[in-house]
Amino acid sequence: MTVMQLTLAIIKPHIIKNPFSLDGIRNHIISSKFKIIKSKRKYITLKEAEHFYEEHKHKFFYNRLVTFMTSGESDLYILAKENAIKDWRALMGPTKVYKAQFEASNSIRGKYGLTDTRNATHGSDSPETAKREIELFFPEFDYEKWFRDEQFQFLKNDIKFDKENFVHTIGNN
Amino acid sequence: MNRINPIQQFHKHIHHLNKQFLRGVKRKYPINPKKADELPVFQYSPSKDTYKRVFTWGNAQTGALGLKGLIDKEVLSLRYPKRMYVGERFEVLSAAAGFGFSIFAIYSETNVKLYGTGLNTDCQIGYHEVRNGHPLEVIFYPQPIHLPFRDPEHSKVLKVVAGRAHTLVLTEEGVFTMGNNSYGQCGRKIIENEDYLRSNFVNHIPDIDGSKICDIEAGQDHSLFLTEDGSVYSCGWGADGQTGLGHYNNTEELAKVRGDIENEKIVKLASRSDFVMAINEKGDAFGWGNTEYGQITLPNNDQQLSNPTHIAMLNPIGKIKSVASGGSFCLALNEKGEVYVWGYGLLGLGPVQLTKKPLKIPETLLGTNDFQPTCKVKDITCGLYHAAAVTNFGDLFTWGRNKDCCLGLGNEKDQHFPLKVSLGGHVTNVYCGIDHTIALCDPFI
Repeated sequence: MTVMQLTLAIIKPHIIKNPFSLDGIRNHIISSKFKIIKSKRKYITLKEAEHFYEEHKHKFFYNRLVTFMTSGESDLYILAKENAIKDWRALMGPTKVYKAQFEASNSIRGKYGLTDTRNATHGSDSPETAKREIELFFPEFDYEKWFRDEQFQFLKNDIKFDKENFVHTIGNN
Repeated sequence: MNRINPIQQFHKHIHHLNKQFLRGVKRKYPINPKKADELPVFQYSPSKDTYKRVFTWGNAQTGALGLKGLIDKEVLSLRYPKRMYVGERFEVLSAAAGFGFSIFAIYSETNVKLYGTGLNTDCQIGYHEVRNGHPLEVIFYPQPIHLPFRDPEHSKVLKVVAGRAHTLVLTEEGVFTMGNNSYGQCGRKIIENEDYLRSNFVNHIPDIDGSKICDIEAGQDHSLFLTEDGSVYSCGWGADGQTGLGHYNNTEELAKVRGDIENEKIVKLASRSDFVMAINEKGDAFGWGNTEYGQITLPNNDQQLSNPTHIAMLNPIGKIKSVASGGSFCLALNEKGEVYVWGYGLLGLGPVQLTKKPLKIPETLLGTNDFQPTCKVKDITCGLYHAAAVTNFGDLFTWGRNKDCCLGLGNEKDQHFPLKVSLGGHVTNVYCGIDHTIALCDPFI
């Protein structure tokens, strides 16, 4: 039996300020058959951002990332799919926008990214980081419980799409 | 039945027209050929000196083009320049193109000296609401922006510049800033979790320590100010060193930029993204900010520079007249009208390339040929991914990435070398946004 995978997607502040880009990215997510388990919009606090990017702490772009992520509201999604982490990263395209716009012009970053820092989206890079990141931003979300109780319905496609809140909910079609 | 062949009918029609044409115009009272020379000759009435034609093209979705018809027809992007009514109704002095929005400065004696259109999620084109408490996030055609002038009758807007989500307006009464201030780019205190959409706050910077501000420039999330004595001040996002203040923090209060430019008289500033260029009156270039794509080659491969540094590699090209700094590349124009490019991307010299040395764009690509040997580039400017050059013949050349058709060349393809844009007027100013472009033109007559 196939098993679903979860990943955390962040739509960065400069996209939230442009409703047309946000719509475009959401359409990309839906048309690539991702299921949105949870969705919320929030200001990422400095503390959260510092914790989130801990692994980059000694890199030169750390301060840039943290200040950028705290500059406005972001959209946070838990996405589910069979190969969610890999597929979401493929959909996003290369990290550097200036390169992505030529190398992968149809990817999310190639289309909606502005600069290398303002690169539209974030995605977890491995199942372990996905779990860590989801727990950081969705402390109320029970990772194990979802796989135990709810995954089955998503696999069966026994879900409804709530367009307003941009989330899939379990229910009869 | 007597049916006439349609071809026969057509020939008959042509024959009739020909006959009419050969006979000439039939006048009721023919002019006496002797007196014809004495008749007065009327000139076409020339346009007013202050009249500018305004053309916009590129991404139409955001409303930044200010053309209502496009929204009704659900056009996503406009491949050709289209004339805008703002230029016909008002005397447009200047314009600015930000991320999905446009601002036009007009001549007026009231508080409304600006018109804005496009994205307004940070109140960057003023506060507009449908009804009380319901601000508009997107505006599809130019709306008046009220600024708190002390003496609206005599004050004039000198320049407008727009960043990602903030606007700076240089007037005779100082600088007004509006829009997003999450990094301090409006030169006021950063308020945590401020709702910019509803803030409706215009910040006024009358002068800096008593000296008058004479030029302004906006990067994506930082602002630069030039005072009359040639000093540069900055505020906003400094994470790449783009404020040039020797640190990488956000700056809320205008601070003086030092480093190599401390004792220089700066005359021009250029910044579209996170790299800033400045030139002094002797024509030397300086730079600071993000140098990930070889804008300045640093000794230990550093990618950020927070102290303004003289760009020594530009010395051989002579006195520099103008500079432009895009997302991943830079342009410099010298006195002779030669354009040099370096950095990464579509530089106007063929496919995507990375070069850390300035390369010259052949003059022939920019309009100098046997038919117009005196043609030379007058000014250069650029957006994040595309560049533009204006010649003394009033022609506009664009090249680079064609994001949402912002090059205006009639297609969706990226342009590898400069190509002339078909425009109905002599181009005087060009303003490149991220996915749209604005041109101000003088009429032909």
